[in-house]
Amino acid sequence: MLQNKSFVRKTRQGRVVKVVREHYLRDDIYCGASFCKVCVTSAAKLTPSDSAILVVDTNVVLNQAIPIPTHPRFTLGHIDLLENPGIDGVVLLSVVLDEVKNKNLAVYNRIRALCSNALRKFFVFSNEHHKETYVKAMAGESPNDRNDRAIRVAAQWYQNHLGSTTRVVLITNDRENKRKAIEEGIAAETVDSYVKSLGQPALLDLLVHPPSEDASMMEVEDLRPSKKKVIYTEHKPMSEITSGLHRGIYHQGKLRVNRYNPFEAYVGSESIGDEIIVYGRGNMNRAFDGDIVAVELLPQDQWHTEKSMTIADEDDDEEEDVHLAPGSADDAPRVTNLVPGSGRGVSSVSSRPSGHVVGIIKRNWHSYCGSLEPMPLPAGNGGVAHALFVSKDRRIPKVRIKTRQLGNLLDKRIVVAVDSWDCLSRYPSGHYVRTIGDIGDRDTESEVVLIDNDIDTRPFSAQVLSCLPPLPWSVSSEDLANPIRQDLRHLTVFSVDPPGCKDIDDALHCTALPGGNFEVGVHIADVTNFVHPGTPLDDEATQRGTSVYLVERRIDMLPKPLTEDICSLRADIERLAFSVIWEMTPEAEIISTRYTKSVIKSSAALSYVEAQARMDDSRMTDQVTKDLRNMNKLAKIMRQRRIDRGALTLASAEVKFQIDTETHDPLDIGMYQIREANQMVEEFMLAANISVAEKILNHFPPCSLLRRHPSPTKEMLEPLLRTTAALGLSLDLSSSKALADSLDRAVGDDPYFNKLIRILATRCMSQAVYFCSGDLSPPEFYHYGLAAPLYTHFTSPIRRYADVIVHRLLAASLGIYKLPNIFQDRPQLTSIADNLNYRHRNAQMASRASVELHTIIYFRKRPTDTEGRIVKMRSNGFIVFVPKYGIEGPVYLTLRGEKGGGEWVVDEQQQKVRKIDGSVSYSVLQTVRIHMEVVEPQPNRPKLQLTLL
Amino acid sequence: MSVREWMVGLSAGEKHFIQGGIAQDLRADGRKRLTYRPIYVETGVIPQADGSAKVKMGATEVIASVKLDLARPNPSQPGKGKVSLFVSCSATAGPMFEGRGSEELSAELSVALQRCLLGGKSGAGAAFDPSCLSIVDGKLCWDAYIDGLVVSADGNLLDALGAAIKAALINTRVPVANVPAGASLDEDPDVDLSSQETTRIDTSGVPVIVTLTKVGRHYIVDATSEEESQMSSAVSVSINKERRICGLTKRGGAGLDPSIILDMISVASHVSEQLMNKLDSEIAAAEADEQM
Amino acid sequence: MEYVNPEGIREDGRRPLEMRHLHAEIGTVARADGSAVFEMGNTKVIAAVYGPREVQNRSQQLNDQALVRCEYSMPNFSTGDRMRKPKGDRRSTEISLVIRQTMEACILTHLMPRSQIDIFVQVLSADGGTRSACINAATLALADAGIPMRDLVTSCSAGYLNSTPLLDLSYFEDSAGGPDVTVGILPKLDKVTLLQMDARLPIDIFENVVQLATEGCKAVANYIHEVLLENTKQLEYRRGL
Repeated sequence: MLQNKSFVRKTRQGRVVKVVREHYLRDDIYCGASFCKVCVTSAAKLTPSDSAILVVDTNVVLNQAIPIPTHPRFTLGHIDLLENPGIDGVVLLSVVLDEVKNKNLAVYNRIRALCSNALRKFFVFSNEHHKETYVKAMAGESPNDRNDRAIRVAAQWYQNHLGSTTRVVLITNDRENKRKAIEEGIAAETVDSYVKSLGQPALLDLLVHPPSEDASMMEVEDLRPSKKKVIYTEHKPMSEITSGLHRGIYHQGKLRVNRYNPFEAYVGSESIGDEIIVYGRGNMNRAFDGDIVAVELLPQDQWHTEKSMTIADEDDDEEEDVHLAPGSADDAPRVTNLVPGSGRGVSSVSSRPSGHVVGIIKRNWHSYCGSLEPMPLPAGNGGVAHALFVSKDRRIPKVRIKTRQLGNLLDKRIVVAVDSWDCLSRYPSGHYVRTIGDIGDRDTESEVVLIDNDIDTRPFSAQVLSCLPPLPWSVSSEDLANPIRQDLRHLTVFSVDPPGCKDIDDALHCTALPGGNFEVGVHIADVTNFVHPGTPLDDEATQRGTSVYLVERRIDMLPKPLTEDICSLRADIERLAFSVIWEMTPEAEIISTRYTKSVIKSSAALSYVEAQARMDDSRMTDQVTKDLRNMNKLAKIMRQRRIDRGALTLASAEVKFQIDTETHDPLDIGMYQIREANQMVEEFMLAANISVAEKILNHFPPCSLLRRHPSPTKEMLEPLLRTTAALGLSLDLSSSKALADSLDRAVGDDPYFNKLIRILATRCMSQAVYFCSGDLSPPEFYHYGLAAPLYTHFTSPIRRYADVIVHRLLAASLGIYKLPNIFQDRPQLTSIADNLNYRHRNAQMASRASVELHTIIYFRKRPTDTEGRIVKMRSNGFIVFVPKYGIEGPVYLTLRGEKGGGEWVVDEQQQKVRKIDGSVSYSVLQTVRIHMEVVEPQPNRPKLQLTLL
Repeated sequence: MSVREWMVGLSAGEKHFIQGGIAQDLRADGRKRLTYRPIYVETGVIPQADGSAKVKMGATEVIASVKLDLARPNPSQPGKGKVSLFVSCSATAGPMFEGRGSEELSAELSVALQRCLLGGKSGAGAAFDPSCLSIVDGKLCWDAYIDGLVVSADGNLLDALGAAIKAALINTRVPVANVPAGASLDEDPDVDLSSQETTRIDTSGVPVIVTLTKVGRHYIVDATSEEESQMSSAVSVSINKERRICGLTKRGGAGLDPSIILDMISVASHVSEQLMNKLDSEIAAAEADEQM
Repeated sequence: MEYVNPEGIREDGRRPLEMRHLHAEIGTVARADGSAVFEMGNTKVIAAVYGPREVQNRSQQLNDQALVRCEYSMPNFSTGDRMRKPKGDRRSTEISLVIRQTMEACILTHLMPRSQIDIFVQVLSADGGTRSACINAATLALADAGIPMRDLVTSCSAGYLNSTPLLDLSYFEDSAGGPDVTVGILPKLDKVTLLQMDARLPIDIFENVVQLATEGCKAVANYIHEVLLENTKQLEYRRGL
């Protein structure tokens, strides 16, 4: 075990607590070249066919710009380049990997994936533990210099080790390191010079464009010399920013760009305790969404200058597209003045502080999905062309790229990374990373949706899969003997889900008790029995946060065996569950609640339709049906009571596709029908969630994970009020109860009217969010929509990570397991909650985008005439909501660009648009007949168009 | 010294032999009265400490460590770090140190060393200047904790501990703490310790301790525990390079004539020079060894 | 945290099945009847044995076997953060007990009735695996004292991190919060005398980890044999044999 190893020990000095760790140097670390005569070659990845063995410096890998000039080692990285199969035969030193890991974990994971990819020749050389390549820091040598030296020593070692017949090249972007390497007799090149020497245009496109090059590129491109002026103000030096932050002149925060108005951004600042609004690209001063920026407040008299500060840019003033009807306020544009020029909406925002960005503390640049702006092909195809890239994400400005394959890329969805943005150029410069596929192609667009929403679709790693129990899995005798687990197999348990549901989280039972009461149980898949804290499986699930449902596919949070088999509460199979069991009176009053881990055996997995049919069919008298009916009775009472308490019956226009199993193309589209059975299951899930929320908060007041729904502010309800006022209805907003009642009273002439008002009201609400109970005070825990003082998520642990956390909390509160350490660390818990909100939101955005995509595909071959309702007025038309397909979009009364409109007058008060001669008028909520058709105004840019019939 | 007498059970003949040998200037182990046992020094023995050393004198073996901790200086001495010193005796040195058995001796040794090395309350007369531990005056400093551990006891513990602490101080590397300009030091100070640089403590003033043990009419240095069991009294003098006395402790029951004390001091002062040189060269060799 | 990288190398450069550097010295405390220093990497302990000798406290005297006592102590400078703890805190008492029971199991106590053997173990520097190092040092010290024993007890720990069984955890690895299994064996008799574990572990993995720790114990035993043999040769040499 310890034979033939020579060890040299070193101790490292750490912080105040002197950390001493041993460091063993070895003689059994091999070079990884298959043709090496000395080393063991079993794990070798480098072959003689590679033109050279490339030893790469950290700056070649890292993808992050760090605006500290003292760190030349970390400039711009080329991870995209390395991922291209054109580059191979790469040695990654452990010193480089360590640096990458410390600076950027995402890049580290990508480079690790490359190293473990059997198709790629990337070899990791543990230079730090090799006795001949380990270097000790010399007196006065900075860690950076020491690491540089270690990289050079390793490169030198490779050259000596493999002999002169093999070419070893050190690739570095650090001039100093390159100079020293050449002095020491090591072949060294910069990435640019190396890639150029390979002569492959596809690789050249992947090069990062350093700022200096950008200026020269501008000269070539911009023929108008007058435009080469300073467009943005220079960023302040870091030292000035630091001292400015200290003195309170500048405010630090994360810049968030309005999803629907890229010229408006917010910086949440702790120092002034409010959001600072940044209007216009000029004030944003080259900051991207997600950047950590330093902001200076503008003088108060400039606080409402809004549009005038925007850099006039006609190109960016995009027209509205037909899109899915928003489900909540977060999906809808946060536009304050809907009718430009009316000037009335503006004054309402002037009280909020606005500012401008003076410096960027940390960039949030990554790669973006989109396409190139259509442009004519330059004459000499194959030469370098400059193109503008338009991201799908409207928050991202256009990006200038250089490409040698313009012809190929024009009708493609591509990924582009941003490299730099200097104050002379209007747009940032970036480089092409890869092609996803043809624009409009379903698979391509689906992938764009996923990338756009930062959804991890990679297969689960071997490490994650190794955490799964061996298959086939079944309930074991130990599980049954476990005293924490109650055997509930004798109960008639059943589940009710959408048809074809494979990840069955929840099941129910309802037994009539002798005294006339009922025992009602909600049984939830016992996911935490398989997902243990701190395992790679748990880490992965924490990161993913939720399963994502697209129209044609599902991206699981947990690996498939867990999702569809081991955890899923399938019919006629024994499964582990976590149960909430109530005793209820026939009036649905809860007498007692208990919680237990259990073993159940579901006797039926019903779909909503089946369950509904059983309840409605009076001939059926089997146990399951009887139980269903009892439950339904209870649920109706509970629902009514909830509504009486002020819960809102909100509505959204959810659509459903029928998908062709072969082609995955949508065959039919329609509104999702909600049945009593849905509401019944929902009611019990709500009750279980509320019961669990009470229990965990009671036990762990500072560290429970709950879900709250903030009350809507007056400002948010403004559009609804304007509409209802125009219709002569009045809404009482004083409480959710008052609002619910006034919604009930809002009945119009047609049956759909009330639902429409509810849909509009729903859109005004913000979304519910997860939070850590220690971060807020109890009144803020309130769930407005459900009118519940406490709420959490417990019932879907297979597809939501929040529920997994809540399961752990509940288990700990029952004394079954110890609370994992993570719950002691409040900041960490808060960051988990934040990530869950982020993932949740992204998952919803992705689902919506997927539905939008399929809607377009559906209508591509099926121009349709249908009925729509006007929901919003515009100066040149109105926005129509099409209930049947759940979409909305603009209908233009005057053609775009045809400025001379003038014919139509908007009456803001009445929410009406009227022809000047008074012959025709349209008012809000009016029914109109429209024609829907997919058109292609520009090649390969299909869009759905609505026209008035 | 009840502990020591208990530990060394000597017969009358043995006692006589020891006393006689000392009178003849030929001690039981062959040494002269003013000769030391071989001294062996090793530094850096405790990797987790900021400075450490092990000193062996014959069968006596002691370890000293110096640990530094960030702290707020005492308001009355804003420009100085605090230094504290404790000694403990390991049970490995003998069953009488088991449990609480070592407390009395540990306390005695701690107080004697504090007197010899740390000087008075004002910090005057200390072995080294604690102002070298200051980082930001009145705001931030290093506190030094000096710990002595007796691993094996065969007499002359005080001198051995003194030597070990001296070696440990020389071995100490004080991390360079960079305080960012303008950083607030009033609460949790944000100190940059990332640089690998260290400084050293100026140890040129650290004295050596010489204990003269009076047995009969004579005094001896570096007494073994058998010899210590026969002493009438002992005088420990700490003397620095300039041959200035830094501290003085008299132990043992018998009273001494002041002139004898003065004589003992002058002998100690003479011996200290040899010990100092011997120790310095041993420490230098040990430090060079550790660098390897 | 990545405790074993995909190249199969641990944070300190060892492979999963490798032990730290071992070093032992015999006879370091001159006045004790037997003593030894045992180092496993940066973990360093001294053990001293006094006895067999008269029982000090008559009430504890055993008429059919020797009384074995043990005291474990850890100075406040031995770990990264300096803490002042009184002697005889709970952890020390527990480790003292573990060492005493383990050593008692291998000392032929029936050969020395009405006598007392004291084992004092002093940690100088702690970097994971102190229990094991203490037992190994005590074994050597007992051998040095010439106390009759059934076999040389040796001990080693193993853990399980990143789905990999790891031999001889360092403090860094131990603080990862994974399981830490300490095993003590009588190598010649092939019997386990000590088995401790905190944390949860599936039973089949537990078996692997115990097996690994046992292999570690055997490697320690080989090393201890070498050290004793070398020591005996030195003694022979000094006696001029």
